[in-house]
Amino acid sequence: MAGWFSENGLLLGLALLDGLSYAALVFMVAVGLNLVFGVLRIVNVAHGSLFAIGAYTAASLGLFLSARGLPPAAGYAVLLLAAVLVGGVLGPVIERGVLRRVYGQEDVLQLLVTFALFMILEDVQKLIWGVQPLFHDAPMKFLGTVDVPFGEDVIPFTAYQIFVVPGVAVATLAGLAWFLRRTLTGRVIVAVTTDKEAATAMGIDAAKVTLLTFTFGAALAALGGALASPTTSLVPGVGAQTIVLSFAVVAIAGLGQIEGAALSALMIGMGRSIAVYFEPELEVVVPYLIMVAVLLVRPQGLFGVVETRRV
Amino acid sequence: MLELDGVSVDIAGVPVLRAVHLHVPPGGRVALIGRNGAGKTTTLRALMGLLPARQGRVTIDGREATALPAHHRPRLGVGYAPEDRRLFGSFAVRDNLLLPAQVLKLPAAETARRLEAVFGLLPGLRDLAPRRAAGLSGGQGKMVALGRALMVGTRAVLLDEPFQGLAPALAQRYAEALKRLHHALPEVSILITESNPGLLRPLVEQSFVIERGEISRA
Ligand SMILES: Nc1ncnc2c1ncn2[C@@H]1O[C@H](COP(=O)(O)OP(=O)(O)OP(=O)(O)O)[C@@H](O)[C@H]1O
Ligand SMILES: [Mg+2]
Repeated sequence: MAGWFSENGLLLGLALLDGLSYAALVFMVAVGLNLVFGVLRIVNVAHGSLFAIGAYTAASLGLFLSARGLPPAAGYAVLLLAAVLVGGVLGPVIERGVLRRVYGQEDVLQLLVTFALFMILEDVQKLIWGVQPLFHDAPMKFLGTVDVPFGEDVIPFTAYQIFVVPGVAVATLAGLAWFLRRTLTGRVIVAVTTDKEAATAMGIDAAKVTLLTFTFGAALAALGGALASPTTSLVPGVGAQTIVLSFAVVAIAGLGQIEGAALSALMIGMGRSIAVYFEPELEVVVPYLIMVAVLLVRPQGLFGVVETRRV
Repeated sequence: MLELDGVSVDIAGVPVLRAVHLHVPPGGRVALIGRNGAGKTTTLRALMGLLPARQGRVTIDGREATALPAHHRPRLGVGYAPEDRRLFGSFAVRDNLLLPAQVLKLPAAETARRLEAVFGLLPGLRDLAPRRAAGLSGGQGKMVALGRALMVGTRAVLLDEPFQGLAPALAQRYAEALKRLHHALPEVSILITESNPGLLRPLVEQSFVIERGEISRA
């Protein structure tokens, strides 16, 4: 064991740091997916596309603006702007235009519709950005690297991935928990999630809440994508990978669990990252292995409560 | 105050209410009696706008409300305590009570006044206020559901089988609360559903009977 560690310790450290930033990104997507499912009762397969489009929009916008002399420090505002744009435009268009037509319909139909939406958004994305990799890492380079102490060694790692990405995820977690528990709008969202009809009978406009929640969830996914964009070169297929991982996160955490989603995102992020460094051929299956192992023991998810849903 | 005039309601394409007439006068206490599956809940949901009327007219407080969206109806002063309580389990009891008033954007002073009035009518609720609704017993939950309905039900409250599943002592307490409510706020109409015809006799002035989706005067 000690021998293994002295040989592979640095690699493990790198894997954990990588995993942390990856977990933060997956969390941003999963938490929105969870929120949206709670209110709409629709599993939105196209949620990952919003991550991808958020990433592409942020990279394009960043390239465009920095070519016109935008100072690098303002690049972070661009990431946020991209998320707001994508969520604010695509959110209402998708909810009003497509999803609203299938509320309360059969699960299979809903799944087919959101899958179709996913395919359409993938094509739209290829139409706009093509299939060549898109790369804009200025927001990451700007902060440079920090030396992370690891045992007797230090690992130089990008400050952006250590501070900014997990920082935004933690702020999202804390902000969301506060918002849902302490504000009226948040409580209204929880009320509709718990019991839409009872909420309506209390005077809540469920259609409005649905639009708001979907737009918000879309913006969170897009923000995840925007945050990811400086760390990687964007290619078609990012959306599919993200949605699959966030499904695993939601399944592991249990529905309606925000803090639980954070923990299970960490498990998935770290697990996947360790696989990437040590057994790359396992990268794709590790998240599923974790998911299956958890669901075998606790079918309702680690933090989920067994709920009886009314129709 | 509340009126269904020849209202028919279908659920999933099946006719459940057939051209029913029901009238609850201002300040009146009315029972709707029927067996399991007769259509009691459907009648209340139709009044609340939770199910659309295929034909007929719904009137609330003299106002044509047939096409009024469900979420606007509490604004007319109608409170609803559904079957099975249906509280928001993760909220404290206090937040369950406050939610409808906050959603209606009532002034804070008015909300506080109504909360005090509800505590006055249902004294047990004051102690329960900080508790999570999910942890309440069935009887406590029914009291909270009644209190929540009263927070907006300044003109009428619709109570769906509140006595079902209550132990005799608790049923007694609930009935007393309804009597207090009528004395304290005589202007509030009360519509209660029940399957046992004898139970509500001392509490109401008038009864309707519903059978297979058809309502008749008792
Ligand atoms: N969601 C639904 N889908 C199909 N049929 C329904 C649905 N809800 C109610 N019904 C039918 O409508 C009829 C009336 O139901 P309703 O719930 O109004 O009866 P109820 O008098 O409230 O009964 P209970 O005493 O059991 O509460 C029943 O025959 C029921 O089977
Ligand atoms: Mg019923």
